[in-house]
Amino acid sequence: MISRRRLGLRARVTLIYALGALLLSSTVAASSFLLTQRRLLSETEITAKSQFYRNTRDLRRGLQVAEIPDERDDVFAIEAENSTTPTTTPSTTTPPTTARIFRTIPPSQPVDVPGIDNQVAPPPPTVPNSRPVTSRLGDNFGSVPAPLGENPVIDVPPTPQDPISIILNGLLRPNGAAALLVLPPEEGIDLAARPFSLSGLQPTAIPADLRALVESGSVASRRFNSTGGEPQLAIGITVPEYDADYYELVPLSDLQGTLNSLRNILFGVAIAASVGGATLGYYSAYRAVQPLNRVSAAAQAISDGDFDTRLDDQIDPDLSKLTSSFNHMVEALQVRIERDEQFASDVSHELRSPLMTLTASVGVLEGRRGDLPAPAQQAVDLLSQDLRRFQRLVEDLLEISRMDVGAVQLDQSPVYVREFLRFVIAQSSAAGINVTCSTADADLMINVDKRRMAQAITNLIDNANKYAGGVTAISFRRNGDRVHLFVDDEGPGVRPADRIRIFDRFTRAGADAGRRDIAKGVGLGLSLVKEHVRMHDGTVWVGDRPDGRMGAHFVIDMPIDDTDMGDEEMAT
Amino acid sequence: MGSISGTICGVGTRILTVEDDDRIRQAVKLALEDEGWSVDEADTGERALEAFAAQVSDVVLIDIMLPGMDGFEVCRSIRRTSDVPIIMVTARDDTHDVVAGLEAGADDYLTKPFAPKELSARIRALLRRARSSESGGLDRIKVGDLEISPDEGLVLKAGEELHLTKTEFKLLVELASQPGKVFSREVLLERVWGYDYFGDGRLVDVHVRRLRTKVETDPANPRYVVTSRGLGYKLQP
Repeated sequence: MISRRRLGLRARVTLIYALGALLLSSTVAASSFLLTQRRLLSETEITAKSQFYRNTRDLRRGLQVAEIPDERDDVFAIEAENSTTPTTTPSTTTPPTTARIFRTIPPSQPVDVPGIDNQVAPPPPTVPNSRPVTSRLGDNFGSVPAPLGENPVIDVPPTPQDPISIILNGLLRPNGAAALLVLPPEEGIDLAARPFSLSGLQPTAIPADLRALVESGSVASRRFNSTGGEPQLAIGITVPEYDADYYELVPLSDLQGTLNSLRNILFGVAIAASVGGATLGYYSAYRAVQPLNRVSAAAQAISDGDFDTRLDDQIDPDLSKLTSSFNHMVEALQVRIERDEQFASDVSHELRSPLMTLTASVGVLEGRRGDLPAPAQQAVDLLSQDLRRFQRLVEDLLEISRMDVGAVQLDQSPVYVREFLRFVIAQSSAAGINVTCSTADADLMINVDKRRMAQAITNLIDNANKYAGGVTAISFRRNGDRVHLFVDDEGPGVRPADRIRIFDRFTRAGADAGRRDIAKGVGLGLSLVKEHVRMHDGTVWVGDRPDGRMGAHFVIDMPIDDTDMGDEEMAT
Repeated sequence: MGSISGTICGVGTRILTVEDDDRIRQAVKLALEDEGWSVDEADTGERALEAFAAQVSDVVLIDIMLPGMDGFEVCRSIRRTSDVPIIMVTARDDTHDVVAGLEAGADDYLTKPFAPKELSARIRALLRRARSSESGGLDRIKVGDLEISPDEGLVLKAGEELHLTKTEFKLLVELASQPGKVFSREVLLERVWGYDYFGDGRLVDVHVRRLRTKVETDPANPRYVVTSRGLGYKLQP
């Protein structure tokens, strides 16, 4: 069955609704997430950048302040004197330089880096708004700066002593940003850039391409994930006056947290929407299928024989087409069945009326048989025999036509199988045959339409009489919730090729083509057996006798159907 | 059976045959008269009622398909005034006709074509039933507010006499012979109608239904004649 492999309508609609809701809600969720993310990120970036520019400005100002006034310089120098050993004396003729600032910083490493200071310096890059200081610094910058990271990073302490650290420390970093100031190498002090770090920012933490951009003189920012997977925003700028690079690294993890919870919420909403969609789908499919259930119930009622069943026209305007065509169909069907029934009934009446006259008249003749001369007696015998046969034929034809019309209803009642078979045999031409069964099955009861089942068995007995010299054994056996009735003979048996065909109408076992043995009756008997058994939800077939002897072995297989059979004491 | 049929089969037992087909009517009359019954004929329902009024019959044989007033109507009309045994004759053995005929008040039915011997057997069984109530010899039976006197052919409900047909009465007496015991349809068919194993159970069902409309206060919820599902009927003591 195809329908068994496919999903039911309700399941399909539910699934489609669920998938639709999932698709819709996840699209909405994803786009709102992305929009929010972009907006939050850009806001954060704008904030971070403006703070960065403010910091850059403050830094620049701080650096200026730190280097210009001598007094301040002195202050720095004095402050720094305790811990530092100045190696050069600042010239009074030259303007103060960053060198003075740097000088206040404790040298952290051996400063001599052979092979670097003697390099031929390319012409210093022209820096706009250049000041003498810058050019001086620029000279120093001629040397190739040592790659960042090779120089030890100077961590700015919480209570800094040196001016640069103080400046850096004074910067506002509302986002918990880390900062890094990379100063150029100072002649005589340092041959490599010396990074000052706030909050432990390592130069290596700055992406290389960003550094390259910044070192080439641009302002650059970039969002990236740290090696620990933390999202970060790196911003860098060159401070041209001092040839320094200033970086800030703003952690975006707070933002990420917000985004994560947003994502979780949206995910939950999407799931809830899918479940909601599924529920809605199930409900609407259920509602949509509801009228179909009514149609199906009506169809069931009709097939059970209640042809007056109609669907209520007003159940649903959308379904009125279905309803009205269904009702029309039933009406047409009903008209047709009634016409067929009427025809069968008329035929029945027309055939039976003359038969009635014949039967009554022949009955009188039979009663007066003794008064008749011998030839007339013979004639009466022939007449009554063929009248009976003709009557049987008419009955069979009428029975078959009623079955074809579908106008037959079983009148079932519980019977003891053994007793039933005995009665059938007693009335048949096989009187004297015993019914055999196992002791366990002796009291087996089944629900049958006695008249029809009796006719089926009688027909099997008659069939054996006509073609096989009579029935030799009739037995039955319970087989689970079914019963098998067996009718055996010792005739020539039925050829395998004919075993289906003999149950067709007007087919006769052993009949040669072109030769009809009318005296043995026409072949409606077995087709009636088949029809009667089929109406009892059973099947009939013929095979070889199980004991291997010659003869046919007819089997009726039918359900026991022991509903309606109680255990109350029965009158006998 | 011989002695009974001898008394029943006497000349003077009048049978009214209602049949519109002349040839059938003639043949049936011939056959019945040959069996020893006296036969009156009618070819329409109206004439049948006239004939029945003029000369009371012992058994009425009614064909269902009659021009004008149909067999059911004739049956109902007769039943209004008489409990005479009625046999319905049908040429169509569909359930509807059989049940409708029985519900109209018929005691039994036959399907055309039937042998004269079969008809005689049915008539005898009906007459036996009609007379057995006069010579039963059973004691008076009391069940609830029902009082059954088989000898007098009387049923009293709360002191009031109920009008049952012979068949209904016989059915009630059978059930009342062993109150509380379930009688299968086969047993009732045999004892009341004289049918063998293959009698039509619908006879019992329809008669039980009709009996209930008379003896029960609420026929839809019977108190006396109770169905034992799938088994048969019993009289609830």
